Amino acid sequence: MGINVIIGYTLMFIGAFFFLLSAIGLLRLPDLYTRMQAATKSTTLGAISSIIGIGLMKEDILIKSIILATFIILTAPISGSALIRAGYKVKSPMTDKTVVDKFKEKEGE
Amino acid sequence: MNIYILIFSYLLLVLTIILSILAIHVKDLLAAVIFMGGGSLLVSLVFLLLQAPDVAMSEAAIGAALTMAIYIVAVKKTEREDNDD
Amino acid sequence: MIRKIVYGVFILIIIAAIAIFMSNYKFGVDKMDVGKYYLDNTVPQTGAANVVTSVTLFYRGFDTLGEVTVLFTAALGVAVLYFMGENKRKQKLQESNFVTKIGTRVVFPFILLTGAYIFMHGHLTPGGGFQGGALIATGFLLLYLAYEETSIDRKKFYLVEGLGGLTYVIIGLLGFFMKGSFLANVLPNGTLFDLLSGGIMLPIYIGVGLKVGSELSNIIDDLMCEVKCEEAGGEE
Repeated sequence: MGINVIIGYTLMFIGAFFFLLSAIGLLRLPDLYTRMQAATKSTTLGAISSIIGIGLMKEDILIKSIILATFIILTAPISGSALIRAGYKVKSPMTDKTVVDKFKEKEGE
Repeated sequence: MNIYILIFSYLLLVLTIILSILAIHVKDLLAAVIFMGGGSLLVSLVFLLLQAPDVAMSEAAIGAALTMAIYIVAVKKTEREDNDD
Repeated sequence: MIRKIVYGVFILIIIAAIAIFMSNYKFGVDKMDVGKYYLDNTVPQTGAANVVTSVTLFYRGFDTLGEVTVLFTAALGVAVLYFMGENKRKQKLQESNFVTKIGTRVVFPFILLTGAYIFMHGHLTPGGGFQGGALIATGFLLLYLAYEETSIDRKKFYLVEGLGGLTYVIIGLLGFFMKGSFLANVLPNGTLFDLLSGGIMLPIYIGVGLKVGSELSNIIDDLMCEVKCEEAGGEE
């Protein structure tokens, strides 16, 4: 077993761990905005580390996996921000512990 | 065919059926359109697993993106709630 | 309630009948001679690595011309329904997100590049003119969603569309005059897995890809204009 396989398995394990974290966050967090935090950020990290881990294990698809990871980095924030903005526009309720609403402050100016 | 791929494609098909039933039964038409787009994305994955990448490509581009855009325009021009029955 | 039960039993009977009927046929086994013929003869006859493309463009090229015509007619119908003229008044929509704008500016050229790659390598890799064109139209849809002031130059798109369709017909007529039948292969087959191989498939798919992409972009432009000009159309 080469060193690249060990690194690949480690990266895939890290990716699976972040997927698990995002699933727990989706269940446990109180409102839409914090849930989207769990559903976008840690899922992006989990996806790119699993894909690059697979690419390290099979060297002929390494370049493809790096391109795929780049596209996930590019496109996941777009969809996440569009979704959360739509949620804000339909006035999804915030949790009681919210202390700051930067969007409202910016709109109020 | 690999047995895991077979099980995975059956799982995707069951999910597609659930999404289709949801798309029929939900009252909010925009949500119905989104369920339909998700269903066609899953169908394109099934096409990919059944080794038809040509069909999968056109299904993903047309069924999941362009058809959804057309339906969303139609929902925006008419009413969003299903008041029929 | 009884009606629902009857419907359910009826659907179950249909599903069982289909399952029993289909269990006689083994999945993935070719039963038709024509499929076997295509698989055996595609590479020596056409020089294309992708058998699907060779069927759609080489053996069934005339059908594909009809398909392109159907798409053209559909785009024409949408354009006739939604044509607003030059003096259209635009409604102010909600401005899109900062992240969406910057991300669209980064991703859009890559979408166009991927679409062009797909329709240029139609005879080598999966995909082809229709898929690549649909992907290009998806890129334009993203542009319309991100920047509300987007409007494509319709005349240039009509020009590209017409040239794409004309390429197909001219290649068909070349085959008619040089080899004696419409859409006959007039170009050399080349070596397998080269970009410049596959005879007439490469120029036809470039034409079809540009044509489908510009047509679907025109349809998207019509629909988005319909959304934007909502209030202005109501006042008139």
